[in-house]
Amino acid sequence: MQKFNFIFRFSLNMPTFTPFNKTQRMKRVVYLILILIAATACKEVFEAPPQALLKATLLNSNAGGTISPKVSVRGIGIETYLFKDTALNILNLPLSTSTNKSSFLVSFDSITDTITFTHKDTLKYDSMETGFYNEYKLRSIDFTKNRIDSILITDSLVTKTWHENIKIYLRPLSSGSN
Amino acid sequence: MKILRFTFVLCLLAAISYGQKEPQKKIKPKRTDNYIRMKGIRLGADITRPFQDLWTKGNRYGTEFSADMELWPNLFPVFESGFDVMKINTSYIDYKSSGSYSRIGMDYNFLQAENKNDKNIFYVGLRYGFVLARQQVNSYTIDSYWTPTTGRFSNQNYFAHWGEFLVGLKGEIVHNFYMGWTIRGKIKLNNKDLGMPPTYFIPGYGKAENGFNFDFTYSVYYNLPWDFRKSIDRKKDAIGVPVKGTITKKPANQKPPVKK
Repeated sequence: MQKFNFIFRFSLNMPTFTPFNKTQRMKRVVYLILILIAATACKEVFEAPPQALLKATLLNSNAGGTISPKVSVRGIGIETYLFKDTALNILNLPLSTSTNKSSFLVSFDSITDTITFTHKDTLKYDSMETGFYNEYKLRSIDFTKNRIDSILITDSLVTKTWHENIKIYLRPLSSGSN
Repeated sequence: MKILRFTFVLCLLAAISYGQKEPQKKIKPKRTDNYIRMKGIRLGADITRPFQDLWTKGNRYGTEFSADMELWPNLFPVFESGFDVMKINTSYIDYKSSGSYSRIGMDYNFLQAENKNDKNIFYVGLRYGFVLARQQVNSYTIDSYWTPTTGRFSNQNYFAHWGEFLVGLKGEIVHNFYMGWTIRGKIKLNNKDLGMPPTYFIPGYGKAENGFNFDFTYSVYYNLPWDFRKSIDRKKDAIGVPVKGTITKKPANQKPPVKK
């Protein structure tokens, strides 16, 4: 009990700095300031909210295996390309948050198709530190059949955990084309 | 191998000797300081509350005041009240939550006083905290390859309550002036489910999504040297309430007993 009392009596004296001399006191103040500076310097890194992206796998309509054509993708009405002449077998496509339709111009080895996704949006909360994002439920898909043979919906729910939502079956290129 | 055997034998001997030790009854020494050491009410202000944003994410600040008194020897009923604000302003969200909270509870002092003037305490305490708060998402932005969308949520009012256990020190720096700190563990009891968006921050508690929060406070106190017990005794004397151990006067009309 005596020992216990001594320990806490010593720590009670800490605010007054009585057991320390002037140099030690100054050192402690400097350390305290440094700790406070370090604490303020390390803070405030806010991440961006997550994004729900539609994940499409490209497959050969004849053989059934994955293929990696040179792909260019941009949204209709948008000039920025999501991908430009990039060899891919998986596409991650952002859907529109303002309308319930998202249309893309997609070129597979320079053969262009149009894909339109009709979806229902749901506002989701991630955190007050990051913000909000949208999740989508695919209603239907319309597409042209220049290179695309068919599209299969594997999971209609597009969430922030990216997983396969559709399979795009592409016709193989004829031997004459590049 | 030899070392291993030697260690084993040592351990065995130690175990046997421990087993042979006579069971000793632990005698708890009685406290010799069963008296009120701090007369009056101690008022305090937490000096860490305005600087909370130094260790929390977002811009958090507030004020907190407290009042406690030694009602019974080593037992201090406590009342704490404060105002807490949390603001988050990023490119994606503009959020604000604020509210006034209160806590009531009791502290028990463990530190035995060395003399009557020793008023330093080391204590553990329990609190019940509650708050009526409101939050608002003034604006949010969902960035998109297409067109970024924005929105807002109107005011949401909510009630929340929680329990706290704490350990702390209070030391008398100069006559009637004290300083001290506490380390607190806070357990959320309940808060209303607001739907969208859910409660993010509870004033006085912290992040609502956590069932348990830690906190640290550092306060300065002043003890109003008002001895309420003395004033009660004086009042009793003034209205003629007989006090144990004092002599009361005989009524004037009472006849003395007749001697036979």
